[in-house]
Amino acid sequence: MPAAAPPPSADSGRQSGTGAAIYHVRGLARIYGEGTAAVTALAGVDLDLMAGELIVLLGASGSGKSTLLNQLGGLDSPTHGTLLYRGQDLAAADEAELTHFRRDAVGFVFQAYNLIPSLTARENVALITEICRDPMAPEEALALVGLAERMDHFPAQLSGGEQQRVAIARAIAKRPEVLLCDEPTGALDVKTGITVLEAIERLNRELGTLAVIITHNAILADMADRVFTLSDGRIVDTRENSRRGSVRDLAW
Amino acid sequence: MSLLDRKLLRDLRALKSQALAVALVMACGLAMMIMTRSLMLSLETTRDAYYEGHRFAEVFARLKRAPDSARTELAAIPGVARVQTGISIQVTLDVPGLREPAVGLINSLPERGEQVLNKLHVRSGRLPAGRTTTGELAAGEAFAEAHGLKPGDTLSAILNGAKVPFRLSGIVLSPEYVFEAPPGAALPDHRTYGVFWMPYRELATAFQLYGAFNHVALTLAPGASERAVIEAVNRVLAPYGGRGAFGRIDHPSHRRVDDEIRVLQGLAVAFPIVFLGVAAFMTNSVMSRQIALQREQIAMLKACGFANRQIGAHYFKFSLAIVAVGVGVGVVGGVVLGHRLVEMYHLFFRFPQLDFVLDVRVLVAATLVSALAAFVGVAGTVRRAVRLSPAEAMRPEAPANYRPSLVERWGVGRWFSTSFRMALRNIQRRPIRSALTCLALALATAILIVPNSFRDGIAHVIDFQWDVVQRQTVTLSLVEPGPARALADFKHMPGVVWAEPFRFVPVELRAGPITRRLALQGLPAQGTLSRVIDATPRQIALPERGIVMSAKLAAVLQLRPGDSVTARVLEGRGREITVPLVGLAEDFAGTAAYMELGALNRLLLEGDRISGAHVVVERGRWHEFLAAVKETPRIAGCIIKDSLREGFRKTTAESIGLLQKIYMLFATIVAFGIIYNSARISLSERGRELATLRVLGFSRGEVGAVLVSELVLLTLAALPLGLALGSVFAKGILSAVNTETVRLPLVLTPANYAFAVLVVAVASALSALFAARKIAEINLASALKALD
Repeated sequence: MPAAAPPPSADSGRQSGTGAAIYHVRGLARIYGEGTAAVTALAGVDLDLMAGELIVLLGASGSGKSTLLNQLGGLDSPTHGTLLYRGQDLAAADEAELTHFRRDAVGFVFQAYNLIPSLTARENVALITEICRDPMAPEEALALVGLAERMDHFPAQLSGGEQQRVAIARAIAKRPEVLLCDEPTGALDVKTGITVLEAIERLNRELGTLAVIITHNAILADMADRVFTLSDGRIVDTRENSRRGSVRDLAW
Repeated sequence: MSLLDRKLLRDLRALKSQALAVALVMACGLAMMIMTRSLMLSLETTRDAYYEGHRFAEVFARLKRAPDSARTELAAIPGVARVQTGISIQVTLDVPGLREPAVGLINSLPERGEQVLNKLHVRSGRLPAGRTTTGELAAGEAFAEAHGLKPGDTLSAILNGAKVPFRLSGIVLSPEYVFEAPPGAALPDHRTYGVFWMPYRELATAFQLYGAFNHVALTLAPGASERAVIEAVNRVLAPYGGRGAFGRIDHPSHRRVDDEIRVLQGLAVAFPIVFLGVAAFMTNSVMSRQIALQREQIAMLKACGFANRQIGAHYFKFSLAIVAVGVGVGVVGGVVLGHRLVEMYHLFFRFPQLDFVLDVRVLVAATLVSALAAFVGVAGTVRRAVRLSPAEAMRPEAPANYRPSLVERWGVGRWFSTSFRMALRNIQRRPIRSALTCLALALATAILIVPNSFRDGIAHVIDFQWDVVQRQTVTLSLVEPGPARALADFKHMPGVVWAEPFRFVPVELRAGPITRRLALQGLPAQGTLSRVIDATPRQIALPERGIVMSAKLAAVLQLRPGDSVTARVLEGRGREITVPLVGLAEDFAGTAAYMELGALNRLLLEGDRISGAHVVVERGRWHEFLAAVKETPRIAGCIIKDSLREGFRKTTAESIGLLQKIYMLFATIVAFGIIYNSARISLSERGRELATLRVLGFSRGEVGAVLVSELVLLTLAALPLGLALGSVFAKGILSAVNTETVRLPLVLTPANYAFAVLVVAVASALSALFAARKIAEINLASALKALD
């Protein structure tokens, strides 16, 4: 699927030409604690995310980007606001519905990889393919991230980049509609980071998966369709790239 | 309070349920040790003080009749300190409200002066007044209590054929009858057997024994040889129908108290050690987990300049805090339960006062052992932690190295689910810890087996001894052994449907240097009422020649079938006979020896004589039968089988039953403690992994399955091991409490095993449920964060 060049818009939640809106978010707020101890992590976020888009969330520590990602991934529920996923109200979903949502629709990639140390690469992926509907074969997913040769290695026998690619294979093996990545290269050196980002980009392109990447690293903004910058729980800047840069060409 | 101590308190609070689980297991071991050891100490000190204060004799002898002048001869024996002679006679009693006749053993009070030995302790009322005929009796407490008798109440005794009314002057205790059981019986029957005292002249006159005695008690001078004195006493008494002197070791009451102390000894060591071992393991696993979690904190403390010693001390304090709670709860529990047990012992050991004496030495030793166990449990982990350089410790631990498990390498791995494979590999990665957890779970299962094997053993004895071995309703004994035709008289009594004769001969069995005094029983070869049963269990047909005895008695005498044993008859002409041991009987109420009735009579050269009969009585004519027994002066005793069974239930069964309940409670606490702790540690070690799985879309149940499958696997491996270990423990403990007066068979029932498995399964299920609840509390967003 080609990276589309959507029409510019001042509205952070505009309609994109990349596909139908997958997420529809309005006035999303998340407040932890109560009274004087209350901390506002998200203070009213509006956005719409389209199928096949590659989104980068930028922002300093505590800006609310992780909280936003948690909301999108069904790990946490908003205090108020609208959070629709394909028309399903995630804000009102109960525990079991959220579990199913995560199981079927979302792939996660963590900064610390979070592989199960007692399972091989193939088994880490199979762990997920066993529980979701219509997955791809674990071998296929690992081939997609370039790890066909190291499928039977345990996490301790893999490098950091390899471990992260296993994590990506695990995330995409279920053919998710959304891939949520929290600092996926945060623990990696540049060279390894590039191979990991390439894997994400390739999957976004080839499978049409909506990818949302959190990062500190502003350079990554060039690979996105759209870039949201958060500060104090709000989107303070929205940027659209008319043309996505390839990962290798980013100004590392 | 230093800041480190404040940290300690907060860490403890965070770990409270685990710390409490460890402390409780430790408390159970300590409570058990303190309870049993203190009970032993209580019995020993009470007994020793009672013996000392009331001058319990050291050598005893019975004889037919000796003139008072023989007393001087006895006193002149070298090594004899004090002598007391008197009369002791068994009579039939008529107790108001009691349908059957009761047997009373009446002892004389000295005609002049006070008792020098075996002094009475007056519980209420007073001793009979005056030296001549007073019509007063002092009664032993057990019998008085069983009949609700108080000073001033009356009862009748048949003295030499004449029914004489008596008034109770008082209720007394004697060091000679701490345990009041009829001669030859291992079990008390306070309803039909009692001990009494009355003035010498009155008793002696009634039996034409005035100026004579039939009972001797004496003490030894310091350094005197008991053996030599006994031989000398026997020589002096031989012309007077002496029935053999014996020391305390053969004294029935003393022996019974001794055996009880031995039973407690068997229970006081092995069992608590298992508990303390398990507690040490738990302390170790909790502490090593805690230290692993605090790796970075330790690094920070070191980086800030804390010495290894200070950090080590901090973690030792942590485990000592757990030990302190364990010791506190254990001591309180041990003392409370010990009091409760002492109260119960008072029911069948008659001491003037049986107080709970806390065994402080054991308390100190047990506390030290617990602290040492905790110290050893923590030492290795603390050493590893402080040895790390701060820089290294600040870095997260490298991902653990895993390999496919052994079973998977056999090629069966593809049939396993992923969570099952994870469990297998986790177990294999840390084989020692897995083995220890498995062992702890096995011990938890094992200690559940032991208490119920006591219970089943008691149930077996109650059925076996009084339904399989003894099938009579009543045992009637004659005042004096009589001709065999007396059996016909028994058969003609109202309600009697069947009667079989028996002969009781008091003997001293001797094999090499070991002797035992008991009643040798002559029975029909193939009796149907009082039967001799072997271990199979089949009835042993008593042969024409030879003796059959309790397996336990044979073991004590170190005899095997085919060996010879000498029996010296302790009445009549005092013949000595040597017979081969031909069979071993299985029985649980004291010990016994049997011969075929005819064969026994032939050896005694006394013609066809019987001591009484075992009879079966028709239920509908029971009262009529008892009335007839009461009217038959020739019948001295009437032992109702159900009363004996009841006696067993109230003494041995009750004391072991109480211990069983306490042990069961402890074992259950330990089982829960171990399993809960394992689940907690597993949860804490794998929290991140579990959170990841939740984020990836696993339901709580699925994550729960991942968490518990390792525990379930270890439990499944532990169960058969635990059942086997439990059987070995039960066997070991029962053989430790296997005495001549108290012993239980090893009975291991499927129900016992099933119960142990059930408790472990319920504990596992509850721990899993708890873990599932904790899984719900996992903060999913935390999984997204970098390693903390």
